[in-house]
Amino acid sequence: MSDALHTLAAELLTAGRAKMVLGLRRREGGLVPAFVTNPARADALEPPTGVEANLAAYLNKPAIRKQFPVAIVVDRPALRSLLVLASEHQLPEASVTALLVDAGQCVGAMDLAEAAAWLAEHGPALIEPDPALEARRAELAAMSSQQRAEFWRQQFARCTRCYACRAACPSCYCTQCIVERNTPQWISPSARGHGNYAWNLIRAFHLAGRCSACGSCQRACPQGIPLMLLNAEALAVVQEEFVYAAGTAADAEPFIGTWNEDDAGEFIR
Amino acid sequence: MTQTQHTTEPAPQETPQAFSPRITAFVCNWCTYAGADLAGTSRLQYPPQMRIVKLPCTGRIDPLFVLKAFEAGCDGVLVSGCHPGDCHYTSGNYHARRRWAVFGRLLSFTGIDERRLRFSWVSAAEGRKFADLVAEFTEQLRQAGPFGPHNPARRQP
Repeated sequence: MSDALHTLAAELLTAGRAKMVLGLRRREGGLVPAFVTNPARADALEPPTGVEANLAAYLNKPAIRKQFPVAIVVDRPALRSLLVLASEHQLPEASVTALLVDAGQCVGAMDLAEAAAWLAEHGPALIEPDPALEARRAELAAMSSQQRAEFWRQQFARCTRCYACRAACPSCYCTQCIVERNTPQWISPSARGHGNYAWNLIRAFHLAGRCSACGSCQRACPQGIPLMLLNAEALAVVQEEFVYAAGTAADAEPFIGTWNEDDAGEFIR
Repeated sequence: MTQTQHTTEPAPQETPQAFSPRITAFVCNWCTYAGADLAGTSRLQYPPQMRIVKLPCTGRIDPLFVLKAFEAGCDGVLVSGCHPGDCHYTSGNYHARRRWAVFGRLLSFTGIDERRLRFSWVSAAEGRKFADLVAEFTEQLRQAGPFGPHNPARRQP
């Protein structure tokens, strides 16, 4: 079934179009990241099933960047992450080839422009919201603000500030995160109420218009905090009020940092 | 319990009638600050429980400022600047508008009552609008009551 993936990966490595293929391989019943440099080992690659880590996050790591050009096995959300990175000038020209897998089937090896064209053709243009998340979001929206505060207080109380969410996210690549700035200190680093609230809120805000809704942050969270609920709220504003989708093109304009004269502004009276 | 507590500002009274909310206002230098100045020079009366932080432009107002104000125990935050098209730096207020659209929703979603955050455009000529805005916002916060115990952002001792 994933023969096409193996062949393409081996070809890219043999032809020197990629020095490394980032993908997944099976270990102990689950899929773990694989870093294939030998074409003979390409047959270990497995297609992503949507519950693994977003591999695009590895492209921010210096050890991987040394291996550029690389090929990377991506599904739709990870492809959007690639395009977000490219649009933010984080990927040098021709440094990344996408090995696109959609619905378990290998679509092909493409550069980012081709991948963006594929995404536009095989739409939807906007990221489709997860129905389960939307239902949960509606439940919360129906609560009073005090109840919502209480809900999130309980969730954030478990946060140990391990920053696994940040490490798992391809869009979190600042060399110095705002939470580590201490002159002045904006966000308290101690794992307590106000610091946890500020961190989780600002993390979601900084990803507005940059989140591909891959869910990698939530799966990485060892405390089971529903981070995707926060991301979904930001996503709803970005997509519904501004009709902006993250990761549509390698030269897309950022959501925060650009503006439109007729942007929504009814809340400003 | 004879020990006296010294604070720079009196803490707000807990009874709803006497409660005077503490407000932090982040305003831009060119429009709203001038508007506030006009309200003052015009001798317009408005509730005095607001502290203004003047910034060059609404585009300079990082959402972290708003969060910090709530963290410090404010009952409400007012953010105000030039009307669209009037920005001294051409587009600062347009950038700000997008940011607030997302940030406001996230704050509300995580339990900060929408009534406690107010966005407004006030030009340098709108002294009356500024005075009315502060009066209205203060009344709104008085209705909402003291934020203290329900404030998820509040700094813990």
